[in-house]
Amino acid sequence: MSDDHDQERRKKSSRYDPSRRKFLKGVGVAGAGAALADHLLTGDADKVAAKISTPGDPLSGNVNLVLDLNGQKRNLTVEPRTTLLSAIRDRLEPPVTGPKLVCDMGSCGACTVIMDGKPVYSCLVLAVDAVGKKLTTVEGLGSPENMNGVQRAFVEHDGLMCGFCTPGFVTTISAYLKKNPNPTLDEVREACKGNFCRCGTYPRVFEAALAAAKAGTSG
Amino acid sequence: MPQQQQTQPQPSPTPPKKKKIRVPRVVNGVEQMVEIEVDDVAGPTWGPNDKHTLLNHRLTRVDGPLKVSGAARYTYDVRLPGMLYARVRRCPHAHARLKNFDSSAASKIPGVKAIIQTPLKEFRFAGSPVAAVAAISPEIAHDAIRALVVEYEVLPHVVIAREALKPGSPEVLPRDSRKPDEKNLRLANKTGDVEKVEAALKSSDAIVEAEYSTSRLHHCCLETHGMVVDYSGGDSATIYATTQGTFTIPDDAAKELGLPQSAVTATVQHMGGGFGSKFGIGIEGMLACRLSNETKTPVKLMLTRYDEFVMAGNRSGSWQKFKAGVKKDGTFTALHATQYRLGGVGQGSQAGQPYAVYRVGDSYREVYALQTNEDSSVAMRAPGHPQASFAMESLLDELAYKIGMDPVEFRKKNVRDDFYKHQFDRGAREIGWERRNPTAGGNPGPNKRGMGCAAGTWGGGGNDQCKVDVTVSRDGSVVVAVGTQDLGTGTRTFTRAIVAEELGLGIKDVVEQIGNSKLGSANSSGGSTTAASLSPSVKDAAVKARLAVAEKIAPLFGNAKPEQITFAGGNVSGGGKTITWKQACAALPAAGITAHGVWRSELQSRGVHGVCFAEVEVDVETGKVRPIKMVQVQDGGLPLNRLTMESQINGGMIQALGMALWEGRTIDADLGMQLNPSFVDYKLPGSLEMPEMIPIIDDEDKREVVIGIAEAAIIPAVGAVANAVFNACGVRVRELPITPDKILIGLMSERRSA
Repeated sequence: MSDDHDQERRKKSSRYDPSRRKFLKGVGVAGAGAALADHLLTGDADKVAAKISTPGDPLSGNVNLVLDLNGQKRNLTVEPRTTLLSAIRDRLEPPVTGPKLVCDMGSCGACTVIMDGKPVYSCLVLAVDAVGKKLTTVEGLGSPENMNGVQRAFVEHDGLMCGFCTPGFVTTISAYLKKNPNPTLDEVREACKGNFCRCGTYPRVFEAALAAAKAGTSG
Repeated sequence: MPQQQQTQPQPSPTPPKKKKIRVPRVVNGVEQMVEIEVDDVAGPTWGPNDKHTLLNHRLTRVDGPLKVSGAARYTYDVRLPGMLYARVRRCPHAHARLKNFDSSAASKIPGVKAIIQTPLKEFRFAGSPVAAVAAISPEIAHDAIRALVVEYEVLPHVVIAREALKPGSPEVLPRDSRKPDEKNLRLANKTGDVEKVEAALKSSDAIVEAEYSTSRLHHCCLETHGMVVDYSGGDSATIYATTQGTFTIPDDAAKELGLPQSAVTATVQHMGGGFGSKFGIGIEGMLACRLSNETKTPVKLMLTRYDEFVMAGNRSGSWQKFKAGVKKDGTFTALHATQYRLGGVGQGSQAGQPYAVYRVGDSYREVYALQTNEDSSVAMRAPGHPQASFAMESLLDELAYKIGMDPVEFRKKNVRDDFYKHQFDRGAREIGWERRNPTAGGNPGPNKRGMGCAAGTWGGGGNDQCKVDVTVSRDGSVVVAVGTQDLGTGTRTFTRAIVAEELGLGIKDVVEQIGNSKLGSANSSGGSTTAASLSPSVKDAAVKARLAVAEKIAPLFGNAKPEQITFAGGNVSGGGKTITWKQACAALPAAGITAHGVWRSELQSRGVHGVCFAEVEVDVETGKVRPIKMVQVQDGGLPLNRLTMESQINGGMIQALGMALWEGRTIDADLGMQLNPSFVDYKLPGSLEMPEMIPIIDDEDKREVVIGIAEAAIIPAVGAVANAVFNACGVRVRELPITPDKILIGLMSERRSA
């Protein structure tokens, strides 16, 4: 997925890009304050920054959002600083917990969701920035009874052990195969270089991705 | 409970014969052997390994569909109504005393519900937990721990092992009054005859003296440590735990909640990795229980990734000094070893040298725990073994090169167990050992390829702790229930498969219930003991269930004897008649039947063999190592499931690759803090570095018993990769991880001395 971001950065500087480097650059030395100032719906950045720098007096403002998640309109109330990941896991009722919180800094890919067709790290996307985007989590790709081609291939090729990284891999590869339905092994490795697995499933993740591509059943 | 199938207890005229067997007992993931007495009676057998209908086949895991679709609910995914989120405040100093703790500002933050301190007043490593906060959202909990004002008296620390040996170094832990001479160096354990070793060294044809060290590593479980405590002040509680031991939770949690143990249920349905680090409730669980008890509200405390690095344990580092001798014909003659276990404030772990695979002639060793102001090491996949194996295998390689002998032949000459010999041959064939240039660094060009090999061993035997129930209902449904846990190792799948195979059913015809402390007891998943502890009990229950069903339905088959009724392919046959399983079960009593299985020692064993061969490419201009191919040959008695066993071998190779080339805790000597507590800075193996991997189950092992291999799988590849690096570029890196700087320094000093 990082490939997508790299290319996009080269092409243009979009207003919003949920890649890690861009995010960190945006945050800068002022920490979360700067990022918030960029995105707060109030538009009153100074006031927000002042609030944040006062210990014991955090933001108390909440915003109501509608997210377009897995084909459903979902209403929720979050603090402006809430990430998309935290919003769907900790605020939505019932929650959507396929995407996992693992590194919380855009390095492991376990929280990957598809936003307007592109895989993104949902721990680096603010919930308020996901408004109006079409969001798909691993749950939106298939269910245990009705798996998509990638999910089926993961089961058949044992592309999982503990399974905590699996939703991220499945989501990344599902999105990638839409873009490149006939990848080489090296392209698959590239595609999931932004996802970590600790149990050591990589060889079988690659097998599963190639098998799903061969079967032509990415979606 | 359904009607129980039990024959009337009959007074046995003679007590059953007893036999003594040695079994491993696991304490915090560390295996110890104990002798126990068991009944010497003929029980069920597995039969030949190649005659199974489900076992020893490639079974997709039964929880796969749940895990690939996000439907598997992990502890981290649990969200209860009104639940509070907790965070931990840690001490940033490697050694400090608490001076002042002020929570007044934090407690004023709206949404903060409770603040508690840990019982610690003196902190002996950076990351030591000081306090915890519960609040209505994770963000507010985070605000609150930052708003705590904590003042420390900073004390001297030492975090570099070699510094801790020096006379003037700070004391890591208070001295034991019985051993006033011991400061940071403890646990002296001396084995062997040093004079015999000196004599053997004198008569050797070649001597190698070398020091090897391994870094402290992190488990990096993707699901961090923690739990959700479902307690609202009533007389019972449920703990959602991410644990390797369902039954290690209720007792300690009950104590913290002030409840009787029987009032606390632990549940773990799916868990995101443990690798040895998740036993008991831990300090994070203690804090979660206390916060829940104080607020009478459910509390979720999952460590952050940073917490996980600095306070959830790590793999013990090691520092090993060797002097070894060898004869020209390749006979290992003598080994003098001094080993330091680097476990921070803990004792560290070791596998004593000489590493168990090889005969080394006369040997002498001294083992010490060398302590520093760092978080205690805890068990991690094969505690001590990869460290010991890496050092021994590097040493063997150095000896082989010194006498000009092929490293494979040298190993085959010195293995204790001849079973390794064909494994070395198989591995050599699969990797293409004949392509290897025997001259280290001898290949032309800047990208030099090389190969190395190594071997490992592990116990993996079971113990008598699993009580399994198999229930067959009148509608033909089958449930196998036991409180054990599946760490991603495939426990659910083999549990189902054993029962399905015994009853002649498909794997989908059986449902497993696991991960709950109210179900039949089970051991913790440590020491690779789960398969060998659980599968005999499951088999026993399944056999009893089969016989119980047969007895009840015998009238359908002209009152055939239960043993003569067969179950295969979803059908039941006897007395020349065949009906379907469902038709047969319709003849069961209304309550169905339930059979209780107990452990059968004869269905399991211990002791496995494995060898790894690795090929790498070293760029001698940058020092970068690229793994090309890895082959691992691993035995394990009866493979319960070939697909998941191969996955575990892959996983072992990959984790070993991380240990060999990339992973290591870096710590700042002055600050005493870890410098890489994140997945950005702690380099894990990733998709781009994966070599071609060939996991091979060694079917030459004909033992008809179950043995665990999870830990065995991580051991040999570390040494194999290190030896491949040497063969590729001629630089022997004796300090893991083998990073480019070490290779470049090695190449430079080589050039200088040339």
